[in-house]
Amino acid sequence: MIPALALAVGVVLGLLVEPVVPLWLQPYLPIAVVAALDAVFGGIRARLDGIFDSKVFVVSFVSNVLVAALIVFLGDKLGVGGQLSTGVVVVLGIRIFGNAAAIRRHLFRA
Amino acid sequence: MKGEHADGRARARSPLVRRALELSSGERTRHRPRLGSMSTSLLNDLMTDHLDGGYAAAARRRAEPAAAGEAPAPRDGRVARAALAVGLLLAGFLLALAYRGTMRQAPESERARQALVRDVETGSALSDSLQRRAETLAGQLVRERDAALAASQSGDRVSTEVRRLEAAAAQLPVDGPGVQVVVGDASPRDQVDPATGEPVTVPADDNGRLRDRDLQSLVNALWAAGAEAIAVDGERLAPTTTIRAAGEAILVDLRPVSSPYTIEAVGDPETLQPRFADSDAARRYQSFTGLYGIHFTVRKATELRLRAATGQELRYAEPVATPSAPAPSAGSPRSPGGSPSPSGSATGGGP
Repeated sequence: MIPALALAVGVVLGLLVEPVVPLWLQPYLPIAVVAALDAVFGGIRARLDGIFDSKVFVVSFVSNVLVAALIVFLGDKLGVGGQLSTGVVVVLGIRIFGNAAAIRRHLFRA
Repeated sequence: MKGEHADGRARARSPLVRRALELSSGERTRHRPRLGSMSTSLLNDLMTDHLDGGYAAAARRRAEPAAAGEAPAPRDGRVARAALAVGLLLAGFLLALAYRGTMRQAPESERARQALVRDVETGSALSDSLQRRAETLAGQLVRERDAALAASQSGDRVSTEVRRLEAAAAQLPVDGPGVQVVVGDASPRDQVDPATGEPVTVPADDNGRLRDRDLQSLVNALWAAGAEAIAVDGERLAPTTTIRAAGEAILVDLRPVSSPYTIEAVGDPETLQPRFADSDAARRYQSFTGLYGIHFTVRKATELRLRAATGQELRYAEPVATPSAPAPSAGSPRSPGGSPSPSGSATGGGP
């Protein structure tokens, strides 16, 4: 309950505050979002699996976002930013889909 | 798919052994043949292990003391819950942030267009208000001048002459009966798509677009039919007014007009309309309505009001050699007829 509430509050806050993302941060935002989604889906799935752990969730969330941004940053510096972004999105996308499938199996037994 | 993922059961084996057992278990091999090399196992991990390994590890850690008989450490205490809430808050914030950023960026071109449209609207509103002001001031000027000229005999003569010239130069508003011609581009047609059978709207082709020369020939036909004053979309035509094209737009006296174009002509209602309807241009555009789908209607108007043309700058002027030369202010009229003399004319300054 509280986590869902926190998520909703975060969304509302982000919509209301209208923070201006600094220009240098904007390339990393989409990747960070995918990483955050991956962490959230992983957390839900872990909860349904009965092995949820707050610390793991928070640490994985923060580190996923940071690592994804770092990969893109490195890629940008090395001239392979686009390809690395694609790679990150593919890997995280597969994970998100896998976790979503597991959640679906938990919820609908199908 | 039970057992596919670490499910919290504490298994006090090294991860490698566990992995080997998993790989060799019967239900796994159904999905993936034994693949030895490191890179394919990486791909296998990618395709099957979606959950962060940390959860399983944490569950194991939790289970270990429990298995050892002690009460599990109170890990999910208040701190952990707060950390979770903060983490999810951040996640939600991040999502909203990205959403806002995308919304801000995506319609960038659209917003630029809107801004340009606003600029244009502001500009034409300003131009309209300036034009109204210019008309008011011009009317005031005419009144002042008439008052100044009315004082003397020769002034009266000059005044009549000025009136005549002004009328010819379209510097005076005009009202009276006449004809109203409305021409417009062909409208988009509804067609049935031959491939899908669905009705589609086809934009009119280029032949259905009116050009500046179309307006020119219609206006010329109206002049030829005896029109005394003409306005196109409210723009009064003076002798020096141009109807030109700039790209796709048609400019009348450098002001853009858009389809449908309303051409109002003041003239003798008995002769103007028949003569115009009989003209080549009118007949041609009448036939174009069927050919290209343009709009073309002519109707008699009992009361048209055309405003004065604007933007007639003074290009050539010569002081009038009469004693009642206007503006007796010091120095300005260097009349060739002698020194400026007020000569009793009540010009502005009063008696």
